[in-house]
Amino acid sequence: MIPSPNPGLDLTISRVIRAPRQAVWNAWTDRASFEQWWVPAPAKCRVMEMDLRPGGSFETRISENGGDFAPHLSACFLAVDDLERIVFTNALVGGWRPAEQPFMTAIITLRDHPVGTEYGAHVMHRSNADRNMHEEMGFFDGWGTVIEQLATLAERRA
Amino acid sequence: MEQYSEQLNGIFQALADPTRRAVLARLGRGPASISELARPSGMALPSFMKHIRSLEGSDLIRTRKEGRVRTCVLEKKTFAVVESWLSTQRAIWEGRTDRLEQFVLTAQEKEKK
Repeated sequence: MIPSPNPGLDLTISRVIRAPRQAVWNAWTDRASFEQWWVPAPAKCRVMEMDLRPGGSFETRISENGGDFAPHLSACFLAVDDLERIVFTNALVGGWRPAEQPFMTAIITLRDHPVGTEYGAHVMHRSNADRNMHEEMGFFDGWGTVIEQLATLAERRA
Repeated sequence: MEQYSEQLNGIFQALADPTRRAVLARLGRGPASISELARPSGMALPSFMKHIRSLEGSDLIRTRKEGRVRTCVLEKKTFAVVESWLSTQRAIWEGRTDRLEQFVLTAQEKEKK
């Protein structure tokens, strides 16, 4: 069953990557590889846990500006279908235990494409009420400062 | 949606540069002429103009010419787009996908050698 997107709460990304599915799958599921692309430089990512099976824990930490590694993503895998699909949510942590601040489920799909792999991300969010949490995540991904500056600017101009 | 996402890419690209962010910060205090904006950057005018065109191209600012002076103003509508949390999330996931693609392609190149 594929849930239909809700434009107010979901985002979908689709990209054709000129590489075989196995290569894309490896980049996602090999910890050392994953750490190299999950967050934008100069921030660094460390995979604490990546237990690739339903109920398995998925936990990453991030270091910004060479500082200590701080919590980033704390999630649980819901489905892991070899070379095809990875589903995880931060509504749960490892072992299906309910999480403190749930807000999203992500469905990552890999499909064969004539020139390589069609990579898709369908990310479903809980509601607009969670925007503070989202902004916090945005901050960790390096855009927070920019957004904050923009908000300040926009307020000043109002 | 595709067009919206392209607009966002442009916006975040324009914001990824310290000189351009400094220009926006200055314009947050009110309109300013190009020469006034260029002064703190210490750049020659032609190089500085590239930054102005980038900001104008992504609709973050507007410029208007009065006599010999070109004045820049912040475009508030665009800021509303960036401020929405969903667009922040989109930018994060687009960025991740860009980096994943780059990583996979680079790894493949290495294997071929």
